Amino acid sequence: MCFQFQLWVLSSLILRASLTPFAAENQKAPSPIPVEPKADTSTSKLSHWAFRPLEKPAVRAVKAKSWIRNPIDTFILAWLERESLSPSPEADRITLIRRLSFDLLGLPPAPGEADRFVQDPGAQAYELLIERLLASPQYGERWARHWLDGVRFAETHGFEMNQPRPNAWPYRDYVIRAFNEDKPYDRFIFEQLAGDASGADEATGFLVGGPWDQVKSPDINLTQQQRMDELHDIVNTASATFLGLTVGCARCHDHKFDPISQTDYYAMQAVFAGVQHGERTLRTPDSDERTMKADLLRRIVENLDDQLAHFAPLANPALSQTNVARTPNPRENTEAFTPVEARFVRFTIHETLNHAEPCLDELEIFGAGHNSRNVALGAKASASGTLPNFEIHKLEHLNDGKVGNDHSWISNEAGRGWVQIELPEKQLINRIVWSRDRRDIYKDRVPAVYTIEVAATPNLWQAVAGRPPLRPPVHAKQNVDRFPPVKARAIRFAILESSSDEPCLDELEVYTAGDSPRSVARQSSGAKVFVSGNLQTSDAHPAEHLIDGQFGAEHSWISNERGRGWVQVEFPDAVVINKVVWSRDREGKLKDRVPTRYQIEVATDTVQAGEQSLSPDPERNPKSQISNFKFEISNQDQRRLAAQTETREQNSIESDRRTWKLVSSSNDREPFQPNAKPKVAYSPAGLMQSETAHLSELLAAKKRHEDEVKALMAFPAVYAGKFEPPGPTHRLNRGEPMQKQEIVAPGALRSIGPQLGLGSDLPEQHRRVSLARWMIDPKNPLTARVMVNRIWQHHFGKGLVDTPSDFGLNGSRPSHPELLDWLAGEFVASGWSVKAIHRLILSSSTYRQSSRSNPHSMAVDASDRLLWRYPPRRLEAEALRDSILCVSGNLDLKMGGPGFDLFDPNNNYVRVYNPKKQFGPPEWRRMVYQFKPRMRLDDVFGAFDCPDAGQITPKRTSSTTPLQALNLLNSPFVVQQAGFFAARLQHDAASDAPAQVRRAFRLAFSRGPTASEEEAGVRLIREEGLIPFCRALFNANEFIYVF
Amino acid sequence: MNAVSHAGRWLLNRRDFLRYGGTGLSGIALTALLSESGLLSAENDRLPIRPKVFPENPLAARLPHFAPRAKRVLVIFCSGACSHLDTWDYKPELIKHHGQPLPGSEKLITFQGENGGLTKSPFDFKPRGQSGKFISELLPNLADLADDLCFVHSMTARSNTHGPAENQMSTGFTLDGFPSMGAWVSYAMGTENQDLPAFVAIPDPRGVPQAGPNNWGSGFLPAVFQGTAFNADKPIPHLVRPKELTSLADRSSRDFLKLLNDAHLQQHPGDTELSARIASYELAAKMQLRAVEVGDFSGESASTRRLYGLDDANKLKAGFARNCLLARRLLERGVRFVQLFNGAYAMGEGVGNWDGHKTLKSQYDIHGPILDQPAAALIKDMKARGLLADTLVVWTTEFGRMPTFQKGASGRDHNPKGFTVWLTGAGVKRAFSYGATDEFGYQAVENVATIYDLHATILHLLGLDHERLSFYHNGIERRLTDVHGHVLTEILV
Repeated sequence: MCFQFQLWVLSSLILRASLTPFAAENQKAPSPIPVEPKADTSTSKLSHWAFRPLEKPAVRAVKAKSWIRNPIDTFILAWLERESLSPSPEADRITLIRRLSFDLLGLPPAPGEADRFVQDPGAQAYELLIERLLASPQYGERWARHWLDGVRFAETHGFEMNQPRPNAWPYRDYVIRAFNEDKPYDRFIFEQLAGDASGADEATGFLVGGPWDQVKSPDINLTQQQRMDELHDIVNTASATFLGLTVGCARCHDHKFDPISQTDYYAMQAVFAGVQHGERTLRTPDSDERTMKADLLRRIVENLDDQLAHFAPLANPALSQTNVARTPNPRENTEAFTPVEARFVRFTIHETLNHAEPCLDELEIFGAGHNSRNVALGAKASASGTLPNFEIHKLEHLNDGKVGNDHSWISNEAGRGWVQIELPEKQLINRIVWSRDRRDIYKDRVPAVYTIEVAATPNLWQAVAGRPPLRPPVHAKQNVDRFPPVKARAIRFAILESSSDEPCLDELEVYTAGDSPRSVARQSSGAKVFVSGNLQTSDAHPAEHLIDGQFGAEHSWISNERGRGWVQVEFPDAVVINKVVWSRDREGKLKDRVPTRYQIEVATDTVQAGEQSLSPDPERNPKSQISNFKFEISNQDQRRLAAQTETREQNSIESDRRTWKLVSSSNDREPFQPNAKPKVAYSPAGLMQSETAHLSELLAAKKRHEDEVKALMAFPAVYAGKFEPPGPTHRLNRGEPMQKQEIVAPGALRSIGPQLGLGSDLPEQHRRVSLARWMIDPKNPLTARVMVNRIWQHHFGKGLVDTPSDFGLNGSRPSHPELLDWLAGEFVASGWSVKAIHRLILSSSTYRQSSRSNPHSMAVDASDRLLWRYPPRRLEAEALRDSILCVSGNLDLKMGGPGFDLFDPNNNYVRVYNPKKQFGPPEWRRMVYQFKPRMRLDDVFGAFDCPDAGQITPKRTSSTTPLQALNLLNSPFVVQQAGFFAARLQHDAASDAPAQVRRAFRLAFSRGPTASEEEAGVRLIREEGLIPFCRALFNANEFIYVF
Repeated sequence: MNAVSHAGRWLLNRRDFLRYGGTGLSGIALTALLSESGLLSAENDRLPIRPKVFPENPLAARLPHFAPRAKRVLVIFCSGACSHLDTWDYKPELIKHHGQPLPGSEKLITFQGENGGLTKSPFDFKPRGQSGKFISELLPNLADLADDLCFVHSMTARSNTHGPAENQMSTGFTLDGFPSMGAWVSYAMGTENQDLPAFVAIPDPRGVPQAGPNNWGSGFLPAVFQGTAFNADKPIPHLVRPKELTSLADRSSRDFLKLLNDAHLQQHPGDTELSARIASYELAAKMQLRAVEVGDFSGESASTRRLYGLDDANKLKAGFARNCLLARRLLERGVRFVQLFNGAYAMGEGVGNWDGHKTLKSQYDIHGPILDQPAAALIKDMKARGLLADTLVVWTTEFGRMPTFQKGASGRDHNPKGFTVWLTGAGVKRAFSYGATDEFGYQAVENVATIYDLHATILHLLGLDHERLSFYHNGIERRLTDVHGHVLTEILV
């Protein structure tokens, strides 16, 4: 166990002593949890070999002592001698390097490596080779594949829809890393059950690696059944994988063979009751650093937003909130306005009621005067776009005089779009009527925010009606009111309502229009301020604070009246202004006393100040934007204003008979939200050229920073489960989801291993942490035995226990029980090092035996259960494919990341799997990186007993079929690789056929050809070329079997 | 039943026993091995039977457990849940109570949600054949065969969603990853024709069914027992010589391979798997010839073509007809298990299969004719050729449909509580109906049957004891019927 992990376990033990299953109690009397005296806990069942504590077995006496390299050999030899069998002699070095290479890496040795090993005279050559192979990154890929079989890992959901899980691969990479790093096995288990508690998020991909039915239904019976099946998969896989027990068999009744009660099953189910299928954000080692950096950048973005706010959309004081809030009518809307000369009419939709693509069934335009008629009828229409493929929704329906959904236009953009009518000639109009469905059946898709503009000549638009978008709500920190330039002698800010108490302003800035705006409402520039009154309880908030150029609560003015007040600033000279910036607390600390309803008016020198000529953009004539609206002001507001005017008069401001022009108000702002973040809105309308450039710079800077934040915060998602607070777990009568019995607390098995008593209300993560600790307790008799057996199995093709995920009473008994226990003891003693067990096994004489058969031993032990020879094996599907690519020279050893797909892309909701027929470099990585669908096997190598991940596959079958032969002979994949192999030979040995044969044999078999092989090979190459020759090598028994 | 089981007989042949993977160990290892194989007490007829599979020839024909009625099986699987109420299960009460609520289920929520009133079938029923069995007009040709069919009207399924329910119908388990019925049968019996696969799945011309290859997978059984999927339009993958190689190059390449393998075998005497693999290449060569021949319909007569509708203007019908003819040709040549699919899921709900949720009438008007004539032709043709004498035919679907229409739709929702399958051919009664649903066809009430029962019956007709045929997988004696199932003895001749 690595030191850090020990430390972690130790510290968490101290912190959560109450949760500790046995580490803290192991000195005390047995657990107080009452174990029901049940038939299945009878001593005969509990005395089963696998449930007995690990003991150091006695080493038996053997005769052929010289054969012994380590204790493994003693245990093996003892049984062989008992059956009067002798071990086989050591295999030759070519055989050994091929065996080790396939065994540890799943790949053939390169010719040079094989030659070096064969010629190495060193006594340690074999051990050095083991070390080199164990250190190779391809080792982890090879052994991860074994692990992934046992835990039913796949990258699609299974069942009928069988859609992909694009982010399941990090678990696969985690397993590969774990083997390569020789992660202590106890930690490996812990992380797969509770990696979210120890910084290994992707490891819990184990929990949700199984099938998940995506078909959901309102039928509660089905939903419950599906959930129970999900949890069953987790309980079943966790217990089979780590404990080698078929706990899943106790779902409906007590286990038929093993001391596992139905309650035990539901106790384990309760451990996982909060685990849900799905993706989780993956934390990485640099997560904290990245988060901090992103926070910093976010503050910069906030600052940029404050600057952007200076380009707020132009105020539109003529617009009232009530007007905008009025729900548009799907049936018929009449927009009347002062007669205006028009040739073009444009209806721009900014948003619809349901954010669907907007729909208009008819747009009518009426001329001014008596007997006016719809002049739009049949006129030329254009639009931003039209929803494709609908006969009933076309642009020509807009002004065809026919109404209803069947004769309508629908935009091709959600919530947006515009239509335009070009009248045959310029004429006076004063009314527009529009509707979504004049028949009043459809009420969706109604334009809610829109602008109606007219133009007498192209592009000279003026707004005549509409519900334009609202400006952002007032905010305590900063507000910008922008309006068309106006010549001002004075400005007044009338507060009509505040968020609380007497309203407060820390600054009222007024800016000149033009390329270099100046702040003119400053004491320092001679401005004077008058107010309705100061807060009487304190003199800390005088009017002068409003124009002192300083921000914050300590430099603010507070009105003397609750919810109202006014401020008036007199400029020494007339100035052309276009912007007011004000705030309650620019430092962003205080959020009360915010003026929420207000008006800003400007005193002009003359009645008709030269606004028009001052406008930087004549097309955006400010007069035209508002002149046709009626300024709506409620009676209440009028009374308030009247009262304030009185006060103003009392303050004897000389110029009150001047003309006051309303330039901005809160009427076109969204409603105030007390705790909302500032909302940024900007518009290029009315900006000078230099301002537009500045806006562009700000936007670019903002985007740059936001992208950076996005990149920093793009923590990958991983299909490693979501954890939710679990509800109660019930025992289910006969496993029927609708037949709930008593509540069962989370726990482990009560009759096997140490005791684990947990409360029903234990938090979710603690449940899994507790179970993990129970499993990795060295006193658990199963954990170490099960894993050393798996390691043995993959070295020899068969485990010492032939049922690798069932060590229960119905599983196989070990062929060499003492050896199993000895290995398990060594495993724990080594700090749960998997590589330590590899070294023991690989360096034994047992492993180094020849695989040669002999009639005597065959007669006694044909299945080689006693290991009188090294048992030959067929390569698995993945190793076979990888080896073909390796020999053809195409294998791409790129590690990790998303896998390659062996099926054509498909988006059908029930996924269709069509095998690819053409392959390129992306498919030439190792097969452990195949994007592995559940229940769909590769077209070529699937036939080689590749597991489908529907159920766990702790042990693969190995069958031989004619279809395998057809796949290796005729599939495009193999034929293509035979072509690459041929090209490689051509390159390495030019056109010298004998040299080509020799090179090919070295690459494929690590040896040279015999004379007859060379002769036949040369003949084939000369008569038919290299490809038929290469294809034959890929099909040879020598290529596909390991000896 | 024979006094000595198949496994027992095999045990008695001690020479084979020693040769094929048995061990001559003394003491505990032998005992463990024998008990593992369930062979120690051949006299105990409840112990599991695990067929012995020899690596040289894993598909060698194996004797069944007792005298069989059928040698091979054809399953016609209508994917998507074909409504029993619009085909085989005539309910006059449904006509009478048309439009009224289904009694006792006011708030019934089924797979897709709420249901409307009881709805009579849009297809008329009338009596057929001498038996007078009422069958709907949707499938007139199949209806004409009424006197040959044996209906089970009281079927029930464990799931009301297609994937798991198809899994159950094909593998006995609702979950993914268990061996299919065809895989179990080829594991138990091998095949008499080594030149063709033992188990062939014929997907619909429109694609594969909902649960896809899990319908014919081998699960944890060796891959050699999985179904080989091909149909009349898509042959066995990689069957033909790659176009890059001339026939001579192909031949020379394989000769060279043989030379390599023979030399290699000499270096490794006694390793039977190596010779098994050499043999598999010879089998592959024969299969290349035989599988091409089986898909070549040029020798079929004009009347056969007409009978099946091979040249029908309806392309989908003609495609399914070709698959039906392929099925007959496979069975004729000794293929043990053929699973013929009607319906596929790639096109979505009810479009390419029997999932009639929305507009059952118009959907079934499409699917009915595709199935009817070709499937009826297949059975008539098999009968005429004497194939029905030793072939069991099973028509099935994954579950039934509701007697109500769905709320706001003109189709029926899923219903696993009652549906119909029928059988014909070897060992089953003719013109017979077993079990029944209630008066509206909502749930099975009389002689309620399960999919386990259906599987037990199919195995029984093949001479296999469903409680004993097993595969030892990770500590569990796995069976097709799990721990359930009773042979439906009443439907047997």
